[in-house]
Amino acid sequence: MRNALAIAQREIASYFASPIAYVLIGFFALLFGYFYSAILAFFLRQSLQVGQFGFGGPTTINVNQDLIRPLMINATVILLFVLPMVTMRSYSEEKRSGTIELLLTSPLSDLQIIMGKFLGAMALYSIMLAITLVHIGMLFMYGEPEWLPVATGYLGLLLLGGCFVSVGLLISSMTKNQVVSGMATFAVFLMLWVINWMADTAGPVTQAVLNYLSITEHFDDFSRGVLDTKHIVYYLSFIAFGLFLTAKSVDSERWRG
Amino acid sequence: MIEVSHLTKSYGSVTAVDDISFRVEPGEILGFLGPNGAGKTTTMRVLTGYMPATEGRAVVAGFDVFEQPIEAKRRIGYLPETPPLYPEMTVHEYLSFVARIKGVPGGEREQRVNSSMERTRIDDMAGRHCGKLSKGYRQRVGLAQAILHNPEVLILDEPTAGLDPKQIIETRELVKELAGDHTIILSTHILPEVSQTCQRVVIINRGRVVAEDTPDNLTARLRGAETVLLEIDTNGADPAPALSAVDGVTRVTATPGATGLSKTEVETVQGRDLRRDLARAVVTNGWGLLELRSMRMSLEEIFLHLTTEETDEDEGGADLVTATSSAPEAPDA
Ligand SMILES: Nc1ncnc2c1ncn2[C@@H]1O[C@H](COP(=O)(O)OP(=O)(O)OP(=O)(O)O)[C@@H](O)[C@H]1O
Ligand SMILES: [Mg+2]
Repeated sequence: MRNALAIAQREIASYFASPIAYVLIGFFALLFGYFYSAILAFFLRQSLQVGQFGFGGPTTINVNQDLIRPLMINATVILLFVLPMVTMRSYSEEKRSGTIELLLTSPLSDLQIIMGKFLGAMALYSIMLAITLVHIGMLFMYGEPEWLPVATGYLGLLLLGGCFVSVGLLISSMTKNQVVSGMATFAVFLMLWVINWMADTAGPVTQAVLNYLSITEHFDDFSRGVLDTKHIVYYLSFIAFGLFLTAKSVDSERWRG
Repeated sequence: MIEVSHLTKSYGSVTAVDDISFRVEPGEILGFLGPNGAGKTTTMRVLTGYMPATEGRAVVAGFDVFEQPIEAKRRIGYLPETPPLYPEMTVHEYLSFVARIKGVPGGEREQRVNSSMERTRIDDMAGRHCGKLSKGYRQRVGLAQAILHNPEVLILDEPTAGLDPKQIIETRELVKELAGDHTIILSTHILPEVSQTCQRVVIINRGRVVAEDTPDNLTARLRGAETVLLEIDTNGADPAPALSAVDGVTRVTATPGATGLSKTEVETVQGRDLRRDLARAVVTNGWGLLELRSMRMSLEEIFLHLTTEETDEDEGGADLVTATSSAPEAPDA
């Protein structure tokens, strides 16, 4: 664990040594802020309607369901663009520059290296999420949302992001070229996303299977503030499987040289 | 301290290292010599546990690198061909990071980092970013990284590549200083480096060991005699008896060539120039003398000789001829 932390710390320092961390954090905050204001404007219009017409318009309106939930779902779209840029260099850059030789000839297990890289990427992602707490905090200042569903939503974002990061690490371990790594990761994320849409048009059995596989489908409950262990188990196993495949990939790259 | 037996490493269909075996005794410096693509880097990568071997065994400091990789790696310091530096870290940050992942205890880290910076003379660069260092300094930071955790075994892939002459000498001195309590393998294509630093040399070519000896022995083995190369038109007769009769000749190897020509290598005792006598012998026998050339084997030539002799028939052989013809002629007696 101490070794994994050493690696994670180096990863974080390296993110912040280049503009990339700032650009990504800024980009994430900007998009989140845009969605926030758009949804907030819509929410305000709606609540105005509820106030004016009483009936006819939406009957009830709730900050959690009608503001925070769509915001969370929109935030997952941002992940699609931002996380490939977080993970694209993790292994690729080490392979290109030869520093992978240092890691693989040091008394470290592959698992320690992978965990270090995972934690490093997750730390950067957590910082991005932390900044969005400012927006949510404002809602608490002016309204009375429930905090538990909000926390559940953030847990969901963290877990969903973890899945993306594990896929990103896997792909990054397969190429020296960070551009290829980033593009391929984005493509795979999109696929994972699209599974959900395919499910909509499929037969009942296929639909159930596809829905289960779709990593966004599992987010739905989190966004509603419902904490279901089924989804947590799903996400954690997805992450574990992604990291396991990364370990296999690192090992097979080793054989190939 | 290091024992390599029947090591083979293939990349797909390319066999980079083919059934190599050698040993390195504790405290010894072994030079690993070979032309480009010989398999030096590949062997070192297998020894350091960077990649597994296709076949064979490697034991370093008592631990099998495939079976107990972590234990073996703890005892190895490795300078790869390209120093593995993180450009965004300063030299000091980088070495502190390396100290952590090499398992240097927290309390000793600072002191180990400083002492290895001193030994490799990079203390004035401590605050510089690794990405902004010159090639020579990168190499030295790489070396500092290798000796950082005071490993029993040092594996250095071309440690003097890219250094200026003064630095080369200092690095060689450092390597010699480190031997004794460290066991060292270093690879190089520079021959004087081997004779100056190493106690033993393994010459490899195309993934195979072609010679293993002390530098002095290797030189002596081929320098004890001087060789004259003759090409004679004998009309098919064997020139050996006639040439052996010349005073001072120790050995004659005649290779019959096409249309009655004979390529003949004549070894002579050292310190005498027998070219006139040999020419006379050829002429008195009524043969045609097409070429006569004195070969003095330097360590360079031994190296070339050993690493090209397998391919004497094809272009490899041609390389040998061009290389030797530029060798200094023996002074006239
Ligand atoms: N990753 C790789 N994939 C495929 N072939 C490789 C790989 N690395 C090396 N080789 C091949 O293996 C052989 C030995 O290469 P190696 O790098 O070990 O040579 P070397 O002795 O270190 O040469 P140099 O003096 O140029 O550093 C070469 O033929 C090379 O082309
Ligand atoms: Mg090499």
